[in-house]
Amino acid sequence: MPADQLSTTFAALADPTRRAILARLSTGECSVTELAEPFDMSMPAVSKHLRVLERAGLIARGREAQWRPCRIDAGPLKEVAEFAERYRHIWEARLDRLESYLQTMKAKEKKHARKPRHK
Amino acid sequence: MPVSRATNSDTFKVTTPSDREIAITRLFEASPELVFEAMTKPEHVRRWWGNLDDRYSVTVCEIDLRVGGSWRFVGRGPKGEIPAFYGVYREIAGPGRLVYTEIFEPFPDAESVVTQLLTREGHKTRLTATSIYPSREVRDMVLKTGMEKGAALSYDHLDDVALELARG
Repeated sequence: MPADQLSTTFAALADPTRRAILARLSTGECSVTELAEPFDMSMPAVSKHLRVLERAGLIARGREAQWRPCRIDAGPLKEVAEFAERYRHIWEARLDRLESYLQTMKAKEKKHARKPRHK
Repeated sequence: MPVSRATNSDTFKVTTPSDREIAITRLFEASPELVFEAMTKPEHVRRWWGNLDDRYSVTVCEIDLRVGGSWRFVGRGPKGEIPAFYGVYREIAGPGRLVYTEIFEPFPDAESVVTQLLTREGHKTRLTATSIYPSREVRDMVLKTGMEKGAALSYDHLDDVALELARG
């Protein structure tokens, strides 16, 4: 995924309405009218959110039917989740382990310093 | 999300100095020289960097510590090899200041630039690592995910992350 695409995906996911739309689509494809139901929002507003999601590659819209059903495309989502999860994972534990390791290093240094010297 | 005061809040902190940055600071019970050594020599990095528990290990740890030199770390976990983190050293000014790029292998174009400072505070050392991301969107997503996951975990320092993020 190119950098611009990654940014587009992140930007698309930054909005709570769009995340709610994706959550709804994760249960199966549906029409724009169905998607709009839970939201207190005009149809053009919902369509605008759908266009953002479509540009980000997060959803696909059927050409085959007049009502153009929306469905989720999990590919970019999976990559984003993996990226963020690994990143968090690393930062979270990395520095705690470094601190523990530093104490090990210090203990070793002390042990060496205490050793009687043999000539 | 509940926001509680963490017990070690003065040793670990996450802030956002600008809309494309994340700064992490951590206090260590060691000298700047020792912290720098532990962070820049492969035999030491292998011991702490990717070893979350016994199931994890660091399989590749290459450090060419000179300006223009590259670094590359690969970890291995219970599900197999974790994609590499790698980058290039841009500035090296003793233990005090190190600037390098960081890339996570699956996203080669989402490079961040990390400025790492080590400052003496009495017998302790403060690490400040500031990462600049390619866009605000990338930065926000990194923060957002950290916050959501953090709420479900009991780690003290994640409470701190949440607290800082709640302050915006």
